[in-house]
Amino acid sequence: MRPARVLFGLVVLLSALLIQLSVIGRLPLPGGPPDLLLVVVAAIALAEGPASGLATGFSAGLLADLSADHALGRLALAYALAGYVAGLFSSDLDRSAVTSFAAVAAAATVGILVFAVSGAVVGDPRTTLATLGRSLASSLPYDVALTPFVVPAMALAVRRLDPDPERRL
Amino acid sequence: MLAALTLITLDLQAGQGSPLASVRRGADAVLAPAQRVTGAAARSIGAVVTGLPRVAGYQAEARRLQLDNDRLRAELAASTDTRRQVGELRQLLGLKDAGRYTMVPAYVSSRGSFLGFDNAVTLDVGERDGIRKDQTVVSARGLVGRVLRVSRASCTVALITDPGFSAGARIAGHDGLGVARGDGRRGLRYEQVEGDRVEADDVLLTSGGTLARGIPVGRVRVVRTTGTQLKTASVEPFVDVSTLDLVAVVAAGPSGQPRVPVPPRTTSRPQPAGVPGTPR
Repeated sequence: MRPARVLFGLVVLLSALLIQLSVIGRLPLPGGPPDLLLVVVAAIALAEGPASGLATGFSAGLLADLSADHALGRLALAYALAGYVAGLFSSDLDRSAVTSFAAVAAAATVGILVFAVSGAVVGDPRTTLATLGRSLASSLPYDVALTPFVVPAMALAVRRLDPDPERRL
Repeated sequence: MLAALTLITLDLQAGQGSPLASVRRGADAVLAPAQRVTGAAARSIGAVVTGLPRVAGYQAEARRLQLDNDRLRAELAASTDTRRQVGELRQLLGLKDAGRYTMVPAYVSSRGSFLGFDNAVTLDVGERDGIRKDQTVVSARGLVGRVLRVSRASCTVALITDPGFSAGARIAGHDGLGVARGDGRRGLRYEQVEGDRVEADDVLLTSGGTLARGIPVGRVRVVRTTGTQLKTASVEPFVDVSTLDLVAVVAAGPSGQPRVPVPPRTTSRPQPAGVPGTPR
């Protein structure tokens, strides 16, 4: 990985994390708020493929875990798998305009479910059917709504930095 | 990438202990200043965005606030801006023994929310401001939560609506005693342990213990009686947790035990001077 690409990834993930924590988390939105970090991970995965999605998701989730107060690694796992799933759509990107929406929706679903399962396993009192329902019913649509803003920007940036991205599975 | 998954499993186990606490502190030390800046920016943007639909009511509120403001300004003219804010909080809360509590004002610098699941709230005060674990966090309306974790310049707070939050609570005006727990959404659930009266519109206060005593928690809404005659109730908190901004951490309680007066003896023997507890 070129150093410019790694630096770009770090800057983007940190910025997304800060915006998510300080701005989006505090907006009094009805229902669960969107997860900008997830959409950014999915966007990068869409541009670069499932392997990169896994790695980006893991890094993003680890950063998020450090700022949160649950068992370390839960978000890393959830975002890594979400990134992988989004990356699976990357080869279909040129075929239809719906692909990026589908990728973000799939990534969000996988991320939410994996996080909920890890919460149940660890015994996190915040993981209940009610909170799971809230995430799926309102946070997920917000994430999909963010897609047209985030995905093209990420795709452009990635293409500038790495004109020939590897697409290994 | 299997290595990544193995690492994750190790993480999961390790996260339940405390060896990674220093890593967290390091992360907090890095994130806190950045959060403060973005939090301040977000506050101004957020104020504009949330204010737009409410412009109509603002004029009446502005007049009322102007009067309050003039009164407070006159009363606290000598204080610095920080002490004025603390004074406002104290008056509005009407804490008993208010003079014995040290309150540290703080702003909410971030609210974690990942994958739609609510996470921790962080404030912009920490160890260097005298904050310690398990301290009470209040706002002008009532109880906000409890401090979970402290770093040098920031701390993490469990809100009252958090499912993991619980506090001893009592009904104002009665001898009912119980436990209030966050319900994970917008309110709390109160379970009565002692006493037999809980009714709608009762006011719940904290009953002491690790949290400061006598802080308003919320208003009882719906009461249910379980099979074993235990009463549980859903409580609507006084504080709107979705619009938290300025809060205060109760950093120190009264030092030592407050004196408890002892009833006077009825004999004619003179009391020796300086006996502790003799009422004057």
